[in-house]
Amino acid sequence: MSHPPDHGVSRRSFLKGSAVAGIATTGITAATKAAAGPPVPESFGPGEHEITLSVNGAKKRVKVETRTTLLDALRDRMDMTGAKKICDRGACGGCTVLVDGMPTNSCLTLAMDAVGTELRTIEGLSNGDNAHPLVKNFVTCDALQCGFCTPGMVMSSLACLEKRGKPTPEQMRQDLSGNLCRCGTYGRVMEAIDKTANGGGK
Amino acid sequence: MATPNTPNPNTPRAVEITVGYKALSPNQKDRLEKIEVNPAEGDAPPWDALTEYQTVGTDVDRTDGMQKATGRAKYAYDISFPDLQQAMILRAPIARGILKSLYLDEARAMPGISAVVALKKDGSKIRLVGDAVAAVSGKTLDMVRDAIEKIRADYEAEQHNVDYLMDEEAPMLDANGQLDEEWDEDSKVDKALADATHTHTGTYRTEVQTHSSLETHGNTCRWDGNNLEVWASTQATFGVQGELARGLGAHNVKVESVDVHAEFVGGGFGSKFSAGIEGLACALLAHAAKLPVKLMLDRHEEHTAAGNRPSALMQVRGGIDKNGKITAWDWRSFGGCGYNGRGGAVRYPNYYMGDAATRRKHKDIACDTDPARSMRAPGYPQGWFGAEMFLDELAAKASMDPLAFRLKNDSEAMRLDQWQFAADKFGWDKARAKKNDANARYVTGVGCASARWGQLGRHGGRRQSYGVTCRIHPDGMVEARNGSQDIGTGLKTVLQILTAEELGIPASRVRGVTGHTSDPLGPASGGSTTTPSIAPAVRHAAFLAKNKLIALVAAHLGVPEGDVTCANDKVGTKNAKLDFTEACKLVGQTPIEVHGERYPNYRDKPFHPGVCGAQFAEVRVDTWTGEVQVTRMFGIQDCGLVIAKKLAESQVIGAMIQGVSYAVHEQRIMDQRSGRMLNGDFLRYKITGSKDLPDIECHMHSVANGHNNTGAAGLGEPPSTATAAAIGNAVFHAIGAPVRHIPITPEKVLAAIASK
Repeated sequence: MSHPPDHGVSRRSFLKGSAVAGIATTGITAATKAAAGPPVPESFGPGEHEITLSVNGAKKRVKVETRTTLLDALRDRMDMTGAKKICDRGACGGCTVLVDGMPTNSCLTLAMDAVGTELRTIEGLSNGDNAHPLVKNFVTCDALQCGFCTPGMVMSSLACLEKRGKPTPEQMRQDLSGNLCRCGTYGRVMEAIDKTANGGGK
Repeated sequence: MATPNTPNPNTPRAVEITVGYKALSPNQKDRLEKIEVNPAEGDAPPWDALTEYQTVGTDVDRTDGMQKATGRAKYAYDISFPDLQQAMILRAPIARGILKSLYLDEARAMPGISAVVALKKDGSKIRLVGDAVAAVSGKTLDMVRDAIEKIRADYEAEQHNVDYLMDEEAPMLDANGQLDEEWDEDSKVDKALADATHTHTGTYRTEVQTHSSLETHGNTCRWDGNNLEVWASTQATFGVQGELARGLGAHNVKVESVDVHAEFVGGGFGSKFSAGIEGLACALLAHAAKLPVKLMLDRHEEHTAAGNRPSALMQVRGGIDKNGKITAWDWRSFGGCGYNGRGGAVRYPNYYMGDAATRRKHKDIACDTDPARSMRAPGYPQGWFGAEMFLDELAAKASMDPLAFRLKNDSEAMRLDQWQFAADKFGWDKARAKKNDANARYVTGVGCASARWGQLGRHGGRRQSYGVTCRIHPDGMVEARNGSQDIGTGLKTVLQILTAEELGIPASRVRGVTGHTSDPLGPASGGSTTTPSIAPAVRHAAFLAKNKLIALVAAHLGVPEGDVTCANDKVGTKNAKLDFTEACKLVGQTPIEVHGERYPNYRDKPFHPGVCGAQFAEVRVDTWTGEVQVTRMFGIQDCGLVIAKKLAESQVIGAMIQGVSYAVHEQRIMDQRSGRMLNGDFLRYKITGSKDLPDIECHMHSVANGHNNTGAAGLGEPPSTATAAAIGNAVFHAIGAPVRHIPITPEKVLAAIASK
């Protein structure tokens, strides 16, 4: 598995930086300046800072703390509640969003880390009744029961399709292996992916 | 007043209906029979085995599927308000002892904190690691976490025990894990065992399984004066309503009304009947903060303090005669429970025992852990694992095929048809005959087990029967509403399909609404009761609404009401019809609104008192590593009338996947020294994932039971009874030695292979 490209402040560099307080902010600022994208605050201290995130093609300003995860920022500060915090450990995939096309656990990503990336969330796959074929196929294949894992499943399935075109069952299992479902929908999620790959739901 | 010549309108009139089912395959027969039933006056006439359905039993999409798949569905966890406060619970770090003192002032003074409440008084008992002590609300979870750290709680710890087998009341096990205690005398059983051609004894064990609902327990609460509005992740909206009203009263909080919403619920599986301490804490915090508060458990709390399926230790000894008939069945079992020592009872499939001499003893044993809660067929998967695996071992002693052995002993006629049908579909004979190469690294095996549940629905609670509101709107939309919750089972879709069927309109014209206590009373989603309890009321409501619409149309057309029907999206007579939407315009500005009632089930004996199923599993075992992969499963399941076919299949397949998880993955691991759960997260508490997924097929067996106007029976639990047992038997077949303790982990498989 490859990792998403590093954009500015990584969790590690932030932790390193906070350990030596003020001096380290220079290092962080330098790192963020080097990254492509809109300007970010010059320094990070306690309290909230306004950042700009690009979500589903729209620029959105949001106030976050340095410790605020991307998931909490989306859910609690931007009212995008599709992604779910299920395990809060990167073990279940319920919070999956696409960061520059890569399926990413937003519970393990700092909101500030996402500055300068293109974020795609479940909310971007529909507009009223007009939805992405994959979303429609989730419904027609009944690839959901309680529906709580579903937004994460859809995003991982989307990444699978975009990466592979027509994935084999083994590839689907691989790409869904980070997503847990307690109701037992895996097989029908794979049917929905397959149906989408073959042009269904358009 | 009724004259002697007029029939009393309250006297039920008998109706003859056809019950049973059509042949499952060409080599089987129809099992249809006529019975007389007595519907309540005014109820919708019963559907039966000969009814031809337009929408029932078809692949209608889940009615709230689009909301879920787009992320628009709002669960309790997603509810948001301006000024919404987040909350957390401080939990005890000791398994047993006393809370000596609690200091909350420093936490109250932390930035962003809106309320802090004590959930235990000084001197209260602590019963488990994770017992709720205090709760805090504040602007963000990070701030709340900071404040929780400032609470000082002093405890006096006492000696604890988190392993029920270490309790002095627990039985002794020998070095091989077999129960090592004398049996009490029982003249009947002892004689039957002495007379038996073959006898066998085995000890079987299951481990604690957590429900692991993906949405944790929790609520969002908002007060308006003394009225409380709650968005709950619950499988009992009305239960939460009553419980919170009582609980707040006990805390001297004045509450005039409680409204509960649970439009979307992220799973429950039996753990979410109670508002719980987290519900009460949330309401108290919101009251103190004078702001809306959300309190959802985190994953660790969910694993450690929100219920579980308790463990079980079972020993069976039994015997068969020379024909392979079971003649003796002696069962003793122990439930490994939480601190309250309750909920560990196990059941076994008693339809195999016929006239055998039987005995059954059970004892629950407490330890200092989270108490058991009902979990998807409470007591069944444990007991079925023990009993069905014992059957295979007994059959092996008599050199009988396990399926042939079951066909000989299973007393339920419906399942005999199911066994044969499913065995053909699965390819049992060929798979069972396949021999593994003695030196092969990978070996395969197949096994089977039965499923059973007995739930035909109830008519209501103690004081009031269940009901459904049906509205026909002038724009042609129809609403069917009930206050129960759809926890993923598909209740909304059931409301939609049944209403559409009765009105003869496409399902897309009906909206099924659930999850608001302002709507008519419905049951808690437990025991597979929701659909069988609500379905007859849905039909009755739609039937009453239809009659009102028919009256309007008859008047409009100037024809007798008796000549008007609703079918194919039209209302009228053979010669004069209106489109359904045209007919609805006659309604005027106010919609037709009726209340459908859930009458008691017909007193007459139904075709079958419960539901039956059978499952087959194939496994591949790596004899080098001991790893078990479940490769293939086939299940057949009846649930009375199959209403939403695609959803019913989803539920059966889902139960089988949970069964795979129970059989080979899941186990709560406790640390005896600290009393803590060591794997209270999804990294180390393993549930079945996409790579563990077998190829699963299921067949829904629609049966007309004739127990009410609709004839739906419970579906959630029955398929979960069989799976672990079928997998256990498949492993036994594959490696030639039984692994009598689930989860069937690599070390147990290797030990079993070594013991051969």
